Amino acid sequence: MMSHDEMLDNVALYALGALSPREAADVAAHLETCEECRAEYGLLRPAVTAVGYSAEADALTEGPSVLLKARLMKQVRSAQPAQPRISRWPAFAAAACLAIAVGAGLLSASLRERLGRDESAMAQQSAMIADFTAPDAKRYPFGHGSVLVHGRNLYLAMHGLATAPAGKVYQAWTLPKGSKKMAPSVTFKPSASGETLLHLPEAANAVAAVAVSVEPAGGSKQPTTKPIAVTLL
Amino acid sequence: MDRVRIGDTAAFETLYDDYHRLVYGVALRVLSDPGSAEDVTQAVFMKIWSNPELFRSGNFGAWIVRVARNRAFDALRARAARPEDQFPEAIPANDALEDTAIAQLNAESVRTAIAQLPEEQRKLIELGFFGGVTHHEMAKTTGLPLGTVKTRIRSGLRRLRNALDGVVTS
Repeated sequence: MMSHDEMLDNVALYALGALSPREAADVAAHLETCEECRAEYGLLRPAVTAVGYSAEADALTEGPSVLLKARLMKQVRSAQPAQPRISRWPAFAAAACLAIAVGAGLLSASLRERLGRDESAMAQQSAMIADFTAPDAKRYPFGHGSVLVHGRNLYLAMHGLATAPAGKVYQAWTLPKGSKKMAPSVTFKPSASGETLLHLPEAANAVAAVAVSVEPAGGSKQPTTKPIAVTLL
Repeated sequence: MDRVRIGDTAAFETLYDDYHRLVYGVALRVLSDPGSAEDVTQAVFMKIWSNPELFRSGNFGAWIVRVARNRAFDALRARAARPEDQFPEAIPANDALEDTAIAQLNAESVRTAIAQLPEEQRKLIELGFFGGVTHHEMAKTTGLPLGTVKTRIRSGLRRLRNALDGVVTS
């Protein structure tokens, strides 16, 4: 017959997860009826949790790839929820419509300025509107905004961007398919209201992921800061 | 978690930002392989997204530490047959004490507290948590009597708990 002090030792092992399944079941049953052991378990559990938290320091120096988050969020957005949930799609659709409206508004204003003196620019912007309103355009949530792909065209539409710190710019990055190394794309500064709408020069069908980071003015050859947004295509 | 339960992807993204290093860190310590640790991290967060009701109540950080550890051992078992050695993921409700203690944890202060444990206690505790080793296996590996293993683990956890109180009140 186990003494109560021995049981308290087993409660510590139970909290740590160092008992065999049969012993763990015995302790679990005992905890149902023994207040002293329940109190001991409650006291020691945070210590065990702390042991787990100590591992977080390893991830601070060598954390998971930033692409892990992009992979996960892509999976999350394509996953069918296991239970009925309040649909976010109306909100996304509204946000997307707003983004298009904002984009179209900016483009229209720009078009008005250029009308009659730069037909090639007008044609280019008309093509952007066509891409943004195409029913088969694919949108990928991207920070506060989205990456839009239509055919070979690749766009970056973001809002709510803070002004880049002095001497810094935002820089877009693309991950060429089959590569593990991000390639530098364009640098940019958002409008005063924090919006940006860019047609990235890369062909969308050759790109596996898009990211944006804050870089020194002039841009970098490799990201020097953690990306503020990443998405897989 | 309330917003994640109703399918809010932005809330889920925030949850990931707050906890992914913790999950990855635990998985990495158990598996010693960054690729496998990433797989476990992805699996843990997908599980939370698909089945948010798995987290019922209590401290989320305490719960996810245990989920990460258990999923990492699932991955180990997939590599080689191992006995079941999971520990309960459910958290008792209304554990305000634990909430307070864990809310103030940070990896570095915890690491310091653990480093200050006597080595013979720390090694056994880390072996139990990250090695998934039962006390019988610890006794066999170390040559220590079973009673000594048990006492050292309990004393070590109590000492760590007291050190955490220091962290909390500091």
